[in-house]
Amino acid sequence: MQLSLESHKPTLARFQSLIALFVLCLGISLMSDKFLTVANFWNVLRQISVNVCISTGMTLVVLTAGIDLSVGSVLALSGAITAGLLRNGIPMPSANLFIGFTLLGSILAGILTGSGLGWFNGWAITRFSLPPFVATLAMLTIARGLTMLWTGGFPITGLGDSFTYLGTGWLIGIPVPVWISGLIVAIATLITNKTRLGRYIYAIGGSESAARLSGVNIERIKMVVYTLAGTLAGVGGLLVTSRLDSAQPNAGISYELDSIAAVVIGGTSLSGGRGSILGTVQGAIIIGVLNNGLVLLNVSPFWQQVVKGFVILLAVIIDQKSSKRE
Amino acid sequence: MNATIARRKTRNRPWTYVVAIILFLFLAYNSVYIKKLDEVKAAGSAGTGKFDAATYAKTFWNTKLIPSAAGGAVDLSTLLSLLKTDKDKAFTTYSQALGIGNIRYFLVKGEGTVTAVSDNDVTLSLPSGETIRLATEYIFGNAARDASGLIKITEFDNTTDLNNVSAAINDIIRKDVIPPLKAAAKPGKKIAFVGAIELNRAHLHLDDIEVIPISAR
Repeated sequence: MQLSLESHKPTLARFQSLIALFVLCLGISLMSDKFLTVANFWNVLRQISVNVCISTGMTLVVLTAGIDLSVGSVLALSGAITAGLLRNGIPMPSANLFIGFTLLGSILAGILTGSGLGWFNGWAITRFSLPPFVATLAMLTIARGLTMLWTGGFPITGLGDSFTYLGTGWLIGIPVPVWISGLIVAIATLITNKTRLGRYIYAIGGSESAARLSGVNIERIKMVVYTLAGTLAGVGGLLVTSRLDSAQPNAGISYELDSIAAVVIGGTSLSGGRGSILGTVQGAIIIGVLNNGLVLLNVSPFWQQVVKGFVILLAVIIDQKSSKRE
Repeated sequence: MNATIARRKTRNRPWTYVVAIILFLFLAYNSVYIKKLDEVKAAGSAGTGKFDAATYAKTFWNTKLIPSAAGGAVDLSTLLSLLKTDKDKAFTTYSQALGIGNIRYFLVKGEGTVTAVSDNDVTLSLPSGETIRLATEYIFGNAARDASGLIKITEFDNTTDLNNVSAAINDIIRKDVIPPLKAAAKPGKKIAFVGAIELNRAHLHLDDIEVIPISAR
């Protein structure tokens, strides 16, 4: 019997996220009759779409043995830029001109803001050899401050039905945010599994010096990775703003923690070089189901934070143990 | 072989740039439009026509709240009596609120004898025996805005505008209602009032009712 369990250990380790998700779903469905319903299923998927977007970018960063603490603030600024341009445009009284933005223009501006901030993160990390933790922590504050300046500390609301469709609409029976996050996951999976960029990302995370000796342009790949993470945070900001029909200056606070949690629970190693986008999706679903289950079970929001913290801790311990075993 | 690929890549590059420029121009054309600021202002378009809470509050006060206040308000003694016997019915029948939650507002009227005057309020004794306070110093909150139920949340684009309306209505009360009330409030005098009160459905305290005055004579 013991021999049999030992022989199944690698398989169990490989599917640990799925097993955890199954056990979680089973437990919650036994305690709440509202959990296993179609409406709640779509609700959970819609809720996790934002986390899936930013966690996909975070996975790419963590695979290079980096970290991006700024995604929550970048998300807030991107959403605020989109909402501000869509609603207010840019009045230029000195030239008697008004630059208005269409829906497409506002969305592009918001996402490009995310890309720009991500690029800046990458530039600061590679140009000045800053630890990613420090550089992105600085960006966390910078982007939050810029959001406050842009919004004046007030929410920007009333963005119109076309815009809110992105966050609240349905397409062929599936919520639009699920389509968007699904598309992002598909592209990111393709990049990590089938392209040279993907191989380089894993190579840098596995051993940066070995990758450099192999001719990989480390700086360039890192810049691309952080820019992608910023871009995806921008998309996340778009979804949040659209869903709420409002750009909140304090949106996205602690989203970076949910994102890192999804990445780690999904089996991506914090030391880089090991993990997958699909694993992160599983991690995001686990976090989403956990949040949803705790709400359905009427657990106090304060306890919810405690529980989530312990789950993250457990995931990191498992990650450490499996790293040592390898 | 490698040299051939490199040459092919070099040859392809100009086309890539051309496609990128066309795509950029297409996106830019469909993303931004430029107008004269005067035209936009005249059309009252987004970004320039800011909501004027003071004007809105003044219009609401003169055309809606004051004309309908006395008729729409419930007698305070009747309300207090009902709250003691059938709380749910009292809240369902007479309370208003723009949001969800236990905080609800009532538009009330009554007449009472002044028993005390302080810096913060005027204490009245109602004919039914209850004692209530008319606030004269701290005029805050949403009671005056929400108690009539005449303002709908859908009239506003954002919560800031809605909150500013509350502040503007409270300003009107401070400027137009409180000074004559304070001047007339002497112990032993009778005062008839219309006002708004805020009550918490889950934690109901009827022993200290504070009324935000909307009119008093």
